[in-house]
Amino acid sequence: MTRRFIFNLAAIAIAALCASPALAQRGPQRGAGGADANAAAAAKPTPRTADGHPDLTGVWAGSAEPVKTLAPGESTRILFPVRTGPDDKRIFDEMDRAAKERQAAEPNKPPYKPELMEKVQLLSDKRQFNDPSFYCKPLGVPRMGPPSQIVQTPGLVVLLYQGRNTFRTIPTDGRAHNPDADWTWAGDSVAHWDGDALVVDTTRLVEDSWLGADGWFHSNKMHVVERLSRQGDTLTWKATVEDPVVFTKSWEMTPRTLRLNPNPKALLEEDPPCLEQDGPHIVTDDHH
Amino acid sequence: MRQILGSALGLAIALLGAAAPALAHHSLQSEYDINQSITLKGTVTKVDWVNPHVYVYLDVKDDKGAVTKWAVTTLPPGNLRRGGLTRDLLGYGETVSILAFRARDGANLAFLRTITFADGHKLEIWLGDATKEAP
Repeated sequence: MTRRFIFNLAAIAIAALCASPALAQRGPQRGAGGADANAAAAAKPTPRTADGHPDLTGVWAGSAEPVKTLAPGESTRILFPVRTGPDDKRIFDEMDRAAKERQAAEPNKPPYKPELMEKVQLLSDKRQFNDPSFYCKPLGVPRMGPPSQIVQTPGLVVLLYQGRNTFRTIPTDGRAHNPDADWTWAGDSVAHWDGDALVVDTTRLVEDSWLGADGWFHSNKMHVVERLSRQGDTLTWKATVEDPVVFTKSWEMTPRTLRLNPNPKALLEEDPPCLEQDGPHIVTDDHH
Repeated sequence: MRQILGSALGLAIALLGAAAPALAHHSLQSEYDINQSITLKGTVTKVDWVNPHVYVYLDVKDDKGAVTKWAVTTLPPGNLRRGGLTRDLLGYGETVSILAFRARDGANLAFLRTITFADGHKLEIWLGDATKEAP
């Protein structure tokens, strides 16, 4: 074991904390330092633009330190975290068990109409054949969560998502929704300021996306309102989902708080293309 | 020193465990058999640095020179990148030995554990908690 190896392992751990989509799906960021780090970041002054609004501009993802590439010929070990030893023959089972445990513990489920619960369960049971994101489709709004980077200009805010190299350009100049907009994965969005929160209103979302991996489908009547607010060097994302076709009431997604990347030179990295090749080889209904 | 190394490793693993990022877009159990390990020796003909899983393609020659084509898949590119790997470090054009676990459907497909290169260096790209490793 070398120092370089330990450095690599630690770097992987830290990077995983900063970049984990699954982590982000479970509520407030628990990155290095967790709640304390969030509180310290939130206590910093909130920068404002010339028009007086909070300046949301910044990179809200990633690690402060750029990735170090191994030298040619250098050995390494990258272990994806599973709560059993690397040589344990139950390791695949353990992955599934842990994931199911996390899903079962999810306290914030969408309020589906009772007559649709069976469909949700069926979709969930066969998620590895049904979940559009498994097959390289976009996550879509709101499953894609908060942006990785924001560029705020007068009259327009640009939301950038590192995952799948996704962007949203959202007017803040007071215009109404585009009545001619087609239905898409990110929908038609307009935004306005409500006090210090940027409120993004999105309609015309295709019914092909899911709200989560548990078979959480929706209709094309879905309406999503996201609220982005900056406090110091933290960004909090909240989303309310209305879908009168499938829900009994509106659904508040679990809020997420991100910290500003402390490296002013931080850049988003290109996400490699998505090419799903496993589907034809899946032979059992095991899932997580 | 050993204790310091152990602590460093423990911290790293604990952090990884806390993160628990999504790995497979589906269950590995549903596609691969952990009880069917296989060692493939051959030439890397292609590396697909893609989501949701990186693929390494291999030409494996038998004793009579007949070539069998294999595909070996591993973690998503983001995990590999954060571990310091790039596409170029996965051995394109090189002769390697790969330890992997076979697909259940009998295809020439497997899930990677370790690549060993001709000069002896190794890339282990796998799963687990190193603190629970057998001594």
